[in-house]
Amino acid sequence: MQTLTNTVMAADIGEALVRDREKTLEEIYGKAYPMVLHYVRQHHGDADDAKDLLQEAMILFYERVVHEELTLTASPTTYIMGVCKNRWRRELEKRKRQQELPPDVSERVKEDAGAEADQPLFAIAPFVAQLGEKCKEILVAFYYLGQRMEQVAQQHRYRNVRTATVQKFKCLERLRKSLAAYSIHHFR
Amino acid sequence: MRPELEEIQLLEHFLGGRLPAEKEQEMEIRLLWDQEWQQQVAQQQLAYHAIREAGRQHLRHELRAIHQKLFG
Repeated sequence: MQTLTNTVMAADIGEALVRDREKTLEEIYGKAYPMVLHYVRQHHGDADDAKDLLQEAMILFYERVVHEELTLTASPTTYIMGVCKNRWRRELEKRKRQQELPPDVSERVKEDAGAEADQPLFAIAPFVAQLGEKCKEILVAFYYLGQRMEQVAQQHRYRNVRTATVQKFKCLERLRKSLAAYSIHHFR
Repeated sequence: MRPELEEIQLLEHFLGGRLPAEKEQEMEIRLLWDQEWQQQVAQQQLAYHAIREAGRQHLRHELRAIHQKLFG
């Protein structure tokens, strides 16, 4: 019975995140932050650490619930706390390793950390911003925030879903072209 | 839609695993020999990657505002 209730709740949280994102995020944030802050302070961290940790965990949570249809077997805050604790443990280990290194090596490791493996070779988010507000909003709303085209069309006052869909593909085409021009210029 | 946009839509359905089995197989075979098609797929994936990064920035911005509002 417990599982059933939670599955229903998980479906609702996905719906709520997509339909009423800011309010839902605010509710979860309001509950989770004091818990994360308490935990981090007990484990050699400060308020800034707690804030960064929670914000990244909530981004992960959003992506997993909305895109990967994660079925929660616990409340959002329990899930988020789990992510935060794991990541904080790894962060502390990393800091400890860095402290053990001679200072000049430690600096270099910090610089390298900026270019982590799953990051592309150049910053690509600015290419989306370059398309202008309208394209940026449509692309982010549909592909990242997981909104339906009906919602996107309504928000941007398109006559219908079809017109909005054509616009979406035009924006995607422009994005592809600017990325292609850049990568050809820089990597050939 | 004009043909270029139709092709982008086709790529989207292919990458999202939303093509009928027969069509999908056709696309996969084409990927084996058609270099331009490989490039098309790679470009589309890079575009989605860019949107994901922009989306994360967008959420980060909203979360910072929430923090400011509730605990700032």
